[in-house]
Amino acid sequence: MANANNTTDDVIVLNEEGAKFGRAMLIAGLVLIAVGVGVGLSFDTRGLKGLLHSYLIAFMYVLSLGLGLLWIVIIQHLSKARWSVVVRRVAEVLAAGLPIVCALGLGIIIPMWLHNADLYIWVDHELVQNDHLLHHKAPYLNVSFFTVRCAVYFAFWGGLSTFFLKTSVRQDETGKAELSGLMHGVSAPAMILFAITLTFASIDFLMSLDPTWFSTMFGVYYFAGCIMSGHALWALSLMWLQSHGHITTSVTAEHYQDIGKMMFGFVVFWAYVGFSQFMLIWYADIPEETHWYHWRFEEPWKQVSIALLIGHFVLPFLGLMSRWVKRKKVSLAFWCIWLLIVQYIDMFWLVYPNGEAADRVPPSALVDLTLAAGMVALFLGSAIRRAAGINLIPTKDPALSDSLAFHNI
Amino acid sequence: MSDEESKSESAMDNTEDKPKSDAPTTANGEPLHGVLAEYHTPKELLAAAEKIRDAGYTVWDTYSPFPVHGIEKAQGIPWTILPWLVFGAGCTGLTVGLGMQLWTNGVDYKYLISGKPFFSIAANIPITFEITVLFSALTAFGGMLALNRLPKPSHALDHVERFNRVTDDRFFALIEATDPKFDDTATRTLIAETSPHHVEDVPADTRSENLPKFFTYVAAFLALTALIPLGYAYSVRGTTSTQPRIHIVPDMDFQQKFKPQRGNPFFEDGRAMRPQIEGTVASGDLQDDSHFYRGKVGKAWARTFPSRFTPNEAAMQRGRERYDIFCVPCHSVTGNGSGIVAQHALELAEGTWIPPTNLTLANIKQQPVGELYNTITHGIRNMPAYGSQIDPEDRWAIVLYVRALQRAQAGNVSHVPAAKRAGLK
Repeated sequence: MANANNTTDDVIVLNEEGAKFGRAMLIAGLVLIAVGVGVGLSFDTRGLKGLLHSYLIAFMYVLSLGLGLLWIVIIQHLSKARWSVVVRRVAEVLAAGLPIVCALGLGIIIPMWLHNADLYIWVDHELVQNDHLLHHKAPYLNVSFFTVRCAVYFAFWGGLSTFFLKTSVRQDETGKAELSGLMHGVSAPAMILFAITLTFASIDFLMSLDPTWFSTMFGVYYFAGCIMSGHALWALSLMWLQSHGHITTSVTAEHYQDIGKMMFGFVVFWAYVGFSQFMLIWYADIPEETHWYHWRFEEPWKQVSIALLIGHFVLPFLGLMSRWVKRKKVSLAFWCIWLLIVQYIDMFWLVYPNGEAADRVPPSALVDLTLAAGMVALFLGSAIRRAAGINLIPTKDPALSDSLAFHNI
Repeated sequence: MSDEESKSESAMDNTEDKPKSDAPTTANGEPLHGVLAEYHTPKELLAAAEKIRDAGYTVWDTYSPFPVHGIEKAQGIPWTILPWLVFGAGCTGLTVGLGMQLWTNGVDYKYLISGKPFFSIAANIPITFEITVLFSALTAFGGMLALNRLPKPSHALDHVERFNRVTDDRFFALIEATDPKFDDTATRTLIAETSPHHVEDVPADTRSENLPKFFTYVAAFLALTALIPLGYAYSVRGTTSTQPRIHIVPDMDFQQKFKPQRGNPFFEDGRAMRPQIEGTVASGDLQDDSHFYRGKVGKAWARTFPSRFTPNEAAMQRGRERYDIFCVPCHSVTGNGSGIVAQHALELAEGTWIPPTNLTLANIKQQPVGELYNTITHGIRNMPAYGSQIDPEDRWAIVLYVRALQRAQAGNVSHVPAAKRAGLK
C-alpha cells in the first residue's frame, strides 16, 4: 500500500532535461509546420486545396488531444475525484497547451476570409446563391459567423484550461482548500459549455465539409475520440515523466489502471456512438444522409473504414479488457500509442472522402504527417513550457493523501 | 464483507465433514466449529491473516465491515476466475444473438422487408449487443453468487453475540475445526500470538442447512399458479367456441363507429354509407373520355391509343418500369407467363392454380389495345384488378410496353438499328 509520505523523496518539479526537451519540441513543432506548409505550397501537386485538407486533419487531431485533456480536468473536479489528484496536474498542464492549438485554428479561418472555398464549399458566395439548400443554411454557414463562433470556442477553451492550471498552482502556494471548492463550482457550468462548444466546433470544422449532410450524433462521435485519445496522451505523458525520474513513487499502477479503464470505456463508447450514427442512417436509407457513408464504403476508403472498425474498436476492446494489461506500463503504453494512431486515422477518414470522387484531393503522406507531427510537437512543447517551475503534483490539494493511498480492489 | 472475502470463506468452508468422535469441542462440550479471534483495526487483521497463512492453514477466513485492501494477499487467496467466466458468457451471448438472428431471418423464415437484405450485420448489432451484455451481466451476478456459494441460509457465526459487530467496527478471523492442520492447543497458541482482543470458541451449527419449509411451499404454490394461464391456453388451443375471445388488451376493437354496408339510425334511409348527391361528380371521377379511361370507342374495344396518351420513348420507358413492378411477378420479364409467382405455384402443385397468360401468344397479340387496357384495369380470371393502383396514363404505358414485348418475340437482327447492332455481340 502506498502511504502519504512518499512524495517527500519524489522529484515533483520538471528537471533541466525536461525543460530543454520542451524548448526543443516547441522549435521542432514550428519548423515542422513551416516545412509542411512549404512543401504543401511548392512541391505538392495537390496545391493549396491539398494543403488545407492536410492542415485541417492535423488541426482537428491535435485539438482532440487538447480537448480530451481539458475534459479530463473538468470531470475530475465535477466528480470531486480523489483517486486522480496526484495525476491531475499533468492533465492540467497538457490541457494548457490548448491556447497554442487554438492559434493554429487561424490557418483554417484566414483562407476563408481570402474567399478560398477549397475546404468549405459554403465559402463560395456564388455557389451558395445558386443552391437553394446552401442559401437556406447561409445564415449559419457564413464566414463572419464562423469566425465569431471560433473566437468564442477558442476563448472559452483557452481561458478555461488556463483557469484550471493557474488556480491549481495557486493552491500549491496558498494551500487554501476553498480553491478546490472554486474549481468544483466552475466545473459544472464549464462542462455544459464544453459540451456545447465541442459539438458546434465539430459541426463547423468537420461536418460542414459536406454542408448538405447532417447527423445529430456527430458531435458525440468527435467527443468520444477526443476523450479516448486524451487519456492515452495523459498516460503516456506520465510514463515519460516517470522514465525521466519524476513522480516515480507517487504515481502507481493503480492510477494507470484507472486511466486505462477510462480509455477502454471510451474505446467502447466510440464504437457505440459510431454505430448508432451509422445504423440510423443505414436503416432510414434516405439519400441525403446515406451518401456520406456511401463515399466511405467505396474503394479505396472501404479499407480505411474496415481498418478503423478493427483498429479503433475490435482490437483495443479485446486488448484493453484485462486489468493486467492496464497495470503494466509496457502493455498500456502500447495501446496508448495504438489509440493515438487510430485517432489520427479517424480524423483522416472524416476529412478526406468528402464530395464526389472527382472533387476530392488525394492524401499526401509527407504533408499530412509533417503537419501532424509539427502540431503535436508544438502542443506538447507549449504544455511542457507551462510545466516548467511548477509542481507536477498538486501538493496542497486536500485530497492528495487519498490519491496517494488509492488502491483498486 | 467484500466478495473476495466471502468467496474465500465459502471456498474453504467444508461443513459436510462432521466432527469425528475425538473431534475438538468447546468448553461446554459442544462440537466445535472453529476458533474466532477479534481485532480492532484492519492493520491488526492483516498482520494476523499473514501469520495464519504462513502457518499453513487452509480452512479459515477473515471478516470485516468493509473491504480491506491487501487482504487477499495476506490470506493467500488466488485470483478469481470470474472475469474469464464473464468473458466466455459474453462470447457465447454474441454467438447466440447473432446466430439466432442469422437462423431466423436468413435461413429458416426468409421474409423480405422494404428491400433490405434478409440478413445484414448492421441491423442485427443492437440485439447481438444486448444479448452479449445480458449473458455477461447474468454470469457476473450468478457466477459471483455461485463461486461464493451464496445464499447461505444458516452459518455457525450467526449465533456468536460478539460477531454482530462485524458489520460495524470489528474485524475477525476464524480458523475452522475441519482444517487439517487444526490442533486444539497449537491453533490456540497461534491465535494468541496474533494478539487478538478477544478469542472465542464457536460451536458447530446444528440447524438444518435446508431452506425453511415455508419457502418451499410458497415457491411451489407460485410455480403451480404460474402454470394456470399456460395450462388454460393449452387446453383451449384448437377448440371452437361461440363466446367472443377474451380481450386482455382491447386496443381499438370496441370503438364506436359506422362501417360501410351497415346501418346508421342517424339518416332517414338508415344506411351508414352515403350515396353520391344527385347531379354531382366526385373530384377526379368525371372520366368523360371513354377511350382514355375505359379503352372503348363506342361499344367496341379501341384499336388505337387514345389521343391523350402519346406513345413515345419516354412512355415506353415508363411502361417498362411499371411493368417490371406490377406485372413481372406473374408474367415474367419477357411476358411469357413464367414469373416467380407462377413458378412457385407450379412447385406447390395444388391443382387450383390458373397459370398467368403468355402475353406473346397470337390471341393476345390480336387483342385490341383497349381490351388489354381493360384487363389491367379490372383483372381477369384470377388476375386482380390494377385500376386502383395504376393511373390510366401508366396503364396505357404498360399496354404500349406489352406490345413491344410481343413484337420483340418475333424480332430479328434486321429490326435493330444498324448503329446498335455492334452492342449485341
